[in-house]
Amino acid sequence: MPPAIAARALSKDFQVKVRDPGLRGAVAALFRPRYRAVHAVRGVSFEIAPGEIVAFLGPNGAGKTTTIKMLAGLLYPSSGTVQVTGFDPWTGGPDFKRRIALVLGNRQQLVWDLPAQETFQLNRAIYDIALPDFQARVKELADLLGLDEVLDKPVRQLSLGERMKCELAAALLHRPPILFLDEPTLGLDVSAQDAIRRFLTAYRDRFGATILLTSHYMQDVTALASRVLIINRGRLLYDGALDALVARIARTKRLELVLGDGVSERRLAEFGTVKSFRSPNAVLEVPRAEAAATSARLLAALPVIDLSIEDPPIEEVIRQAFAEADGGGEEPTE
Amino acid sequence: MSGGFALWTRRYAAMIRNAWLVNLQYRASIVLWVLWGVTEPAIALGIWWAIAGDGAVGGYARADFARYFFGVMLVNALTIAWDSWQLDHWIREGDLNYRLARPINPVHESLADNLAYKARSAGTILLVWLIAASVWPAVRLPLDPGRWALVAVAVSFAAAMRFFISFTTGLLAFWTTRATAIMELHAGVAMFLAGRVAPLALLPPAVATIAQFLWFPYMLAFPVALLTGAAPTTGELILGFGGQVIWLAVWIAAYRLAWQRGLRRYGAVGG
Repeated sequence: MPPAIAARALSKDFQVKVRDPGLRGAVAALFRPRYRAVHAVRGVSFEIAPGEIVAFLGPNGAGKTTTIKMLAGLLYPSSGTVQVTGFDPWTGGPDFKRRIALVLGNRQQLVWDLPAQETFQLNRAIYDIALPDFQARVKELADLLGLDEVLDKPVRQLSLGERMKCELAAALLHRPPILFLDEPTLGLDVSAQDAIRRFLTAYRDRFGATILLTSHYMQDVTALASRVLIINRGRLLYDGALDALVARIARTKRLELVLGDGVSERRLAEFGTVKSFRSPNAVLEVPRAEAAATSARLLAALPVIDLSIEDPPIEEVIRQAFAEADGGGEEPTE
Repeated sequence: MSGGFALWTRRYAAMIRNAWLVNLQYRASIVLWVLWGVTEPAIALGIWWAIAGDGAVGGYARADFARYFFGVMLVNALTIAWDSWQLDHWIREGDLNYRLARPINPVHESLADNLAYKARSAGTILLVWLIAASVWPAVRLPLDPGRWALVAVAVSFAAAMRFFISFTTGLLAFWTTRATAIMELHAGVAMFLAGRVAPLALLPPAVATIAQFLWFPYMLAFPVALLTGAAPTTGELILGFGGQVIWLAVWIAAYRLAWQRGLRRYGAVGG
């Protein structure tokens, strides 16, 4: 089966105007503007199969949003090629646009002053959706997202979570097979985040949609994505399963302990690095290869009530991945 | 589901409907804009009324000025375009992003918005005129279907031209943060060269000659002259409509160029 999304050696450079601070700098920039090239995305290649949910991870300014905008046909790549459901996004025109949805967590397409229902009607006309299909889809999306109560309220009166759910519904009325979601859970509370994650999984399962999302929330990634793309300073650092990344990057394991009486922090430190010690609970970090042996020694030497061996938190692993890349002779972004 | 004309009719109907629904939320601003549309020509009329006294200035007596500025008021309301402000906002705030992801060029949304607010404010101003004409014979117009047909065509060309001028100037936001300032400058020049503060016949001859070679007279003065002036000669009609067609073509070409180049340049701010 051909990939739903294929990017090959994709790059994007921006010309950014620079000026010195102060009035003199402003005047100088007026007459002699200076520009600096910023390489937002550099030679990124990947393929995503139909029905896959892939998370794009990276710190702010890493190039995630720029890449998504190139895939959606908003930005013209400086070099490289993109194919999305067989279309070149830049030349695909309306036929391509009907096959994608783009949701930007910090920008909304819902008309602020009107109920979400009115934006739905507008999208029905724009995407040319037959009335019976439209009615069925609104009902289905409203059920999945729990929107029955909110569709008739002006958007400005909705909570952030309700707004994002309506935003997703508006973006999916034309039932696109490809979803580009940029920070879809940004600023939402835990239950709204959870509702959106469950919805996205259900949408994928029902319609076989391919989803590429960016997020700062690790829960989004661990709950949704079978695969992650990690990007930093415009370069793709990792493409693969999350578990495999942990196994590759994390050189340590965490031993989570519940201890009996009389064990001091100093005594515990003889077995590894104590990450936290709040009697009776303690967390010990040990080299990955020695986790089993150290556990056995601990059980023999100390009054251990409970012990579990865990991977380090995923945030830490990702941070480590970025740190390694930065320390690995990367040239600066500019 | 269907294509062509029916689809585009439904799209425009939906977009205009939404624009009206949003407008209804801001009734106070509608009143302010209509007041502004009436006030500017009213002030210009007041000044020329005083200058003309019982005589005439450049062939214009008081009644001619009254008819002219009522014509300006109506034609301006029918051809006005504020789209550069909206477009500048879309580009600089990143609201263009999701519009570019839709299977419809954002120019259609602007055009629908433009038609929506024009229908609303021009309707109100037409009402103002009808009330004025019922009590003031000077601003009445002859009921001549041929002339009205010519006016309708000239107003349509002028409206299209002003729309593309505004939209194209708004597209400059792809390159500069001062796109709306450029539009303000254009509006300032248009005050004089399009005939908003005085009929072109009253401009200094050198200025009037320069104006003839630019698009300004064709976006307002020409349709106003057709509406309120003496019956035009064939030469005047050819010159007027010829100028409109040429400048409209130029501005559409400028729009296409700015759109294609601008999109390539788009920095996609806002995320």
